[in-house]
Amino acid sequence: MTAVLRTESRKLARGTFVLTGAFALLAAFMLAAFPAMAEEAELIEQAFPEYVGGLFGMEAMHTLEGFYGSYLFPFLWTVFFGVYVAYVGGGTVAGDVRERRMDLLLSNPVSRESVLLQKVASLWVPLVVVNGALFALLYGGSFVLEESIDPVVLAMAHLLSIPYLLVCGTIGVLLSVVADRTESAQAGALGAVFVLWLVDGLSEMDPEFEWVGSLTPSHYYDPAAILIHEEFGLVDAGVLLVAFAVLLTVAVGLFVRRDI
Amino acid sequence: MAVIRIDNLTKRYGDIAANDGVSFEVEAGEIFGYLGPNGAGKTTTIRQLLGLIKPTSGTAEVLGADIRDRRALTEAKASLGYLPDELGFEERLTGDRMLDYYARMRGDERREELLELFYPPLDRKIENYSTGNRRMLGIVQAFMHDPDLIVMDEPTAGLDPLKQDRLHAFIESERDAGKTIFFSSHVLSEVQRVCDRVGIIREGKLVALEDVESLLTRSGKRVWVHLDEPVDVDEFATADMLDIEAIERGVRFTYTGDYNALLEYLGQYTIADIEIGNPQLDDIFKHYYGEEVDGEPRRTEASEVNGEPRRTEAPEVDGEPRRTEASDHDGGEGSSRAEGE
Repeated sequence: MTAVLRTESRKLARGTFVLTGAFALLAAFMLAAFPAMAEEAELIEQAFPEYVGGLFGMEAMHTLEGFYGSYLFPFLWTVFFGVYVAYVGGGTVAGDVRERRMDLLLSNPVSRESVLLQKVASLWVPLVVVNGALFALLYGGSFVLEESIDPVVLAMAHLLSIPYLLVCGTIGVLLSVVADRTESAQAGALGAVFVLWLVDGLSEMDPEFEWVGSLTPSHYYDPAAILIHEEFGLVDAGVLLVAFAVLLTVAVGLFVRRDI
Repeated sequence: MAVIRIDNLTKRYGDIAANDGVSFEVEAGEIFGYLGPNGAGKTTTIRQLLGLIKPTSGTAEVLGADIRDRRALTEAKASLGYLPDELGFEERLTGDRMLDYYARMRGDERREELLELFYPPLDRKIENYSTGNRRMLGIVQAFMHDPDLIVMDEPTAGLDPLKQDRLHAFIESERDAGKTIFFSSHVLSEVQRVCDRVGIIREGKLVALEDVESLLTRSGKRVWVHLDEPVDVDEFATADMLDIEAIERGVRFTYTGDYNALLEYLGQYTIADIEIGNPQLDDIFKHYYGEEVDGEPRRTEASEVNGEPRRTEAPEVDGEPRRTEASDHDGGEGSSRAEGE
């Protein structure tokens, strides 16, 4: 039974297309600024207050790995993409229930578990398309800038973003199952992901609060470590996948019990 | 065999009971009308039957599946068609794609045949559909997999009279082919026309369960008579006239007696204009099902069961009411009924 997955995937196509375009444009602008920034890298790293370094990393900015890992990826992936996927997740259930689409859908011989899992599975569209397109652009960019970057390492930065993004998306799905309105679920989800990212960055400032950061998903996705130090953090990815599974189980549990 | 068996179904929202101990059965091969005014709890019952909302207490069986058993109910839905009151389609899909979508989950062997009767613009996006087109698409999806049971919530809302007739005729032919149809409505005439049996729900409670023939005899007709000469209402009234009231140059009343007698009786007056129609559901409730404010209900029942004095005017002919359908003021009804029978 993949009918729901097919239709939901198609529904995400348009948004994904727009997002890919926006990301490509942003990334292109950033790449255009890279030669100038590389020259001033030391200055930039010093000029920003410490907490900005905490949020983005700001490390080894004179290399393309450092530029990608501590500026482009944290900005585009950890924040923007995370927020977008959370937003999409927030739109999975609440709107369908409110607009009575769920009534018709569930009159088919398909279980609620299956409906929700297929909706979550449809997140493959933005995850795969945006990562694929941006990998091509960022790798291609290295040639244009006459720099070099290891494609395997770059691919790992993309690949390991997926568990993180799945957690962001499921935060949205969970809120969407609970909320009465799509808007509340979406706003709540993107707000939550953004705040969690802020908390993660700020917690690094004070050793006393470092443990708080370990409760945030972005803590377990570190593009700087992947790109600059080639530390792939597979355990961290595992932690994210477990969190994803737990959130999804809770969402399914709530969805099968609620009145529609 | 009961296709739907509802057993003491109760759904409470805080202090309000949307369904309060509702029990009845729908037999295989019948058209069952679930009648009640808006907000009476019809949709609540239907949505419980589909497992969309959980009963507070009580239960029901649909096609042999207990609605509390989610797995069994999901399987049973392969043989179930559902036309909800509000049609939540994927607005950005075209009608064709929407049908494809559901066909993948439950088949569409009768799709083409249905599209000859009900033909929404399939290549257009649903967001551009009119209410009538949405309803037609809803009908097609409800029947396209040839289900054994079709549950319809206010199915004719938004359909023009021609399509309403077509749907009624179609439902009757489906019934004749052995399908079971459960449909809710707040329109009495519609239920009278197509249903075999009727359950009446009011404020969450099932207040009556009877075959449509007895409902027909009970409910009577709403009559407006405009006369050339002013008339004294008390003089004009007979015991078969309920709720009689004077209007400008005439009278208005609900008539529960024999129609021949009425026509004969009216013959002695010079009638300028006359209209005979179905009473509003609310009137019927007032007269027959509760609301014991004026004790009115009992009186009509008595006059119906046994010949009261005024019956002398004409012999009671049973089953006759149907004839008057042709004169029904919202045209077309008579013909559709005749077809059905």
